Amino acid sequence: MSDVELQLCLALPTPDITKGFNSNNYHGLGFDHLKQTSCFGDRKKRDFEQALGNFSDECNAMPLLLWSGQPNEEDDNHKYRNKRTFTIDDMNDAEEDKVVGWPPIKSWRKRTCHHHHHHERAAGNGNGNGRSIYVKVKMEGVAIARKIDMRHYHSYQHLTNSLISIFTKNKKCDEHYNARYTLTYQDKEGDWLVAGDIPWNDFITTVQRLKILRLNLQTQPQTGPE
Amino acid sequence: MHKKMAFSFPDEVLEHVFSFIQSDKDRNSVSLVCKSWYEIERWCRRKVFVGNCYAVSPRMVIKRFPEFRSIELKGKPHFADFNLVPDGWGGYVFPWIVEMAGAVPWLEEIKLKRMVVTDESLELIAKSFKNFKVLILSSCEGFSTDGLAAIAASCKNLKELDLRDCEVDDLSGHWLSHFPDTYTSLVALNISCLGSDEVSLSALERLVGRCTSLKTLRLNRAVPLDKVANILRRAPQLVEFGTGTYAAELRPDVYSDFAGAFSSCKELKSLSGFWDVVPDYLPAIYPVCSKLTSLNLSYATIQSPELIKLVSHCPNLQRLLVLDYIEDSGLEALASSCKDLQELRVFPSDPFGVEPNVSLTEQGLVAVSSGCPKLQSVLYFCRRMSNEALVTVAKNCPNFTRFRLCIIEPRTADYLTLEPLDVGFGAIVQYCKDLQRLSLSGLLTDRVFEYIGTYAKKLEMLSVAFAGDSDLGLHHVLSGCESLRKLEIRDCPFGDKALLANAAKLETMRSLWMSSCAVSFGACKLLAQKMPRLNVEVIDERGPPDSRPESCSVDKLYIYRTVAGSRFDMPPFVWTMEDDPSLQLS
Repeated sequence: MSDVELQLCLALPTPDITKGFNSNNYHGLGFDHLKQTSCFGDRKKRDFEQALGNFSDECNAMPLLLWSGQPNEEDDNHKYRNKRTFTIDDMNDAEEDKVVGWPPIKSWRKRTCHHHHHHERAAGNGNGNGRSIYVKVKMEGVAIARKIDMRHYHSYQHLTNSLISIFTKNKKCDEHYNARYTLTYQDKEGDWLVAGDIPWNDFITTVQRLKILRLNLQTQPQTGPE
Repeated sequence: MHKKMAFSFPDEVLEHVFSFIQSDKDRNSVSLVCKSWYEIERWCRRKVFVGNCYAVSPRMVIKRFPEFRSIELKGKPHFADFNLVPDGWGGYVFPWIVEMAGAVPWLEEIKLKRMVVTDESLELIAKSFKNFKVLILSSCEGFSTDGLAAIAASCKNLKELDLRDCEVDDLSGHWLSHFPDTYTSLVALNISCLGSDEVSLSALERLVGRCTSLKTLRLNRAVPLDKVANILRRAPQLVEFGTGTYAAELRPDVYSDFAGAFSSCKELKSLSGFWDVVPDYLPAIYPVCSKLTSLNLSYATIQSPELIKLVSHCPNLQRLLVLDYIEDSGLEALASSCKDLQELRVFPSDPFGVEPNVSLTEQGLVAVSSGCPKLQSVLYFCRRMSNEALVTVAKNCPNFTRFRLCIIEPRTADYLTLEPLDVGFGAIVQYCKDLQRLSLSGLLTDRVFEYIGTYAKKLEMLSVAFAGDSDLGLHHVLSGCESLRKLEIRDCPFGDKALLANAAKLETMRSLWMSSCAVSFGACKLLAQKMPRLNVEVIDERGPPDSRPESCSVDKLYIYRTVAGSRFDMPPFVWTMEDDPSLQLS
């Protein structure tokens, strides 16, 4: 798959502030007393230590600092983001983080639920309720369009990475070898624009359809519906 | 003496004996007895089950079982259902179809779960297997109605077409018209997942009319209620029926037409669909309720009083899927009406709301556990739970085989005592000795995993989220659960130690999924190096894992045993350790 290289050209916005991992969510420290009073405690711990064999350095409980320490704000590589606290709201938003894939409900069921709630709730309840946003994605030269849930992505980079994966599956992509593409979208007003100019959060509320256009090296990309 | 007995039967006799053995487990045992039994068994195995499509290659399967007629394949890990597996991960069926097209021309059945199925694959199926009869696609994606048209047009002997929970690109409702006029062998059709685009109703009516053996018909939401009567009248022999949208104008003529058609179906045992329910239309199904064994109301946004009325008409109900609108009061009514209930699934109507929107608590679950002695399988979404309730449920239902509890807010404590729910789940595994599947939720420490490792000896599948304190938790499970085949974990502080200490266990399991845990890339490399019969896949959309320190946690980890070696279809965000040059040196 690495043979086929697609590059999606975007006018990338400056990266959003990575939301740091909240280590307060872990309660490990408070329950040491339970471990000690457990009747299994000592025996299991010894077995565990014995089992470690060559693989072990030390046998204490894993420090949770390891977990919260990466990737952190010191990481220069802004292309890649920590997906662990998935959120699509603004930093200013008072709404709580929504966790990807939780509660564990299949997407088609979520769609039905929220279709119902969409009618019940007042308008203006924006992004925070986790409702799926399905848009059709078409790639120039590929017959079958795909449908994706915009909720699944939290940045342009994430979206384009995924689209590359999805569309390189198509065998006709041999002819797209080393081609360059542009991601365009149709907004609420019906206009076709190049993706990447507006902040991600605004983008997902306005996007209606996506189209990946092949760049002619001589001319500008033709934006517009097929 | 034994050897002499084994050879004293001609092969045909043994083959005949083996033909009564259907279960894969048993056939696998048979094939281990001796070489000649292995040989005989492999030539007469007609149904092949592959739990992980990457555990074995299609050629290996065909080589060992040259004469199979039915294949079942599973692709993506279960957590793909909840968007935890990025698009493009894998699970493509096409390579399997290609191999089977050439080598197994008499193939009759294909059942797929969580696989990517393209129109090309469907077209190849339609072209290659002259006696093709059954296509069941469960949670699959990647195809459109064009592929379905190819199946419809070419598969003259098709009996079952079942698209359960699939993502289908609905390009045109006219694919149904591709079934030729001479085609009459349909027994089961499930198109409930098809999108909101229209289905060709006239083609559907004609199809139903000429397929007099049709027993199962599950329509999609787009089929209006006032058209259902026409369809039902053409198929009074239906046993399983799924409505489309259950909403229509409140008109007496429409109602009586619909109700009349329904009551003409004397064989109905299972109902589903019920999108957009208009409650005034519910009484139309009362006449068939007394025979119903299965009822799926999980799309029906009707409130508790209507639900209570409905279930009280269904004394023979064995399986109920419902939204939490049923509330505790509805579950109490269920417990007193439906004494044969075996399976209950309660889904959340407002999964992302912070405050409860309905009065559904642990009390409903306790009521059903108390009133329904045959209850075996539970999936329950709620917002509060107590150890006391769980202990009561465990004592009431020692026959549980599947218990999945989802307390919606992660790490929710026992609401009465504010303690973790370790003791409650501990009771479940202690009393329910035949428990095969368990999903945990709520506030849980390593202690719950001690209980699980100690008691859950028949447990085959465990799902864990936001639980545990340390590697000890994971160690308890991996070292204690003897029957464990599938383990899926997310957002738990489990890291390298338990995984590496129990590396050998992983070869006895189908797969392990860990996401948002604390397993380092270094540990993954070590594991892959030491365990050549495992595929260790790191799924990380942040970029190459070796661009970060080795002690960095990987985002997602999927480990599965395989005899097929590394796979060739990995997308850019999946890494296996072969790519790492530092491993070449050892």
